[in-house]
Amino acid sequence: MDSIQVGDFKFRLDLSKPLYEQVLQHIRQTIARGDVLLGTKLPSVRDLAHQLKLNPNTVMRAYQELDRYHLTETRRGQGTFITSDSETVELVKKALAREAVIAFVSSMKNLGIDRSTTESLLKEVAWHE
Amino acid sequence: MSSALEIKHLSKSYGSKIALDDLTASFPAGQITGLIGPNGAGKSTLLKAIVGLVKPQQGSIGIFDQPAHWKLNAEIAYLPDRAKWYKSHTIKQALNYALNILPGFDLPRALEMANLMSLDLDVLVSTLSEGHEARLHIILCLARRVKLVLLDEPFSGIDLLSRETIIQLLINSMLDQPQTILISSHEIHEAESLFEHVVFLNKGQLVLEGNAEALRQEKGSIESIYRGLFR
Repeated sequence: MDSIQVGDFKFRLDLSKPLYEQVLQHIRQTIARGDVLLGTKLPSVRDLAHQLKLNPNTVMRAYQELDRYHLTETRRGQGTFITSDSETVELVKKALAREAVIAFVSSMKNLGIDRSTTESLLKEVAWHE
Repeated sequence: MSSALEIKHLSKSYGSKIALDDLTASFPAGQITGLIGPNGAGKSTLLKAIVGLVKPQQGSIGIFDQPAHWKLNAEIAYLPDRAKWYKSHTIKQALNYALNILPGFDLPRALEMANLMSLDLDVLVSTLSEGHEARLHIILCLARRVKLVLLDEPFSGIDLLSRETIIQLLINSMLDQPQTILISSHEIHEAESLFEHVVFLNKGQLVLEGNAEALRQEKGSIESIYRGLFR
């Protein structure tokens, strides 16, 4: 699927993976990267379901999950807003970074590369392109 | 998750041709389920059996915890695979007629849907293209305040734009009221991302059923699972 811009958020959905997790992950990453301002309103469930051709239940489930992590706040009759609390965003950013490191470590292990070699490879790698 | 439909050991044959072969399956309430299988898998026969148009030789059908009965049809909107409507009606007449004969038909909602789907109310049914006639039939089902909607091949043989409009309408419908919707299809089309539950049939038997997200996690897209099962 091509990437689709809905409000401040960009989505690229892969039908071979759970859709709800992808919606959740896209929004979490956008917030963690700081690509949207704190306190911004998320697209309505209706808009997102229509634009992404998703079952509204799938979108609602992702939004409930964001609420559960206090990353968003749903105000009755007004919609869902990104938290204004920068500490919560920092925590989520760290959690996402940790997930990325765990994935990286497991792919190094799959290649049979040990910790010290991995660490020296990391030091050699150029951070700026 | 409570179930809307419980199908138990259902068998139906037409002469020597077996349409349903000891089929047992359940359909969760409040979700969109894709009923998937090639032509002749038994999809249409199953839907007809649910509304009593076909009498199974064996087995039982439970609809919201009650045995299937014609009185329950007031709570079911059924779109047959070859739906027809009175040729001499305009769309407006068709909708007004539907108000008189279809239980739970919500006329203002139907008019809103017709507007969204760019249907001209003064046009005769006999002059509609296949895609536009399909749009009308979908409205006749989705504008009803009923608990269960059965759509037999709603995307078959119609243009891309009509398919996309029907998907929009299904999304609106799910937003407006909690409903159980069954969509039968021999192709996956664009509807795959709407399915929350999937039931695969072949030769009248259950091949695979499950939550769509769990299936995506384990096996990949619904379309690729379908290809794998029926290659």
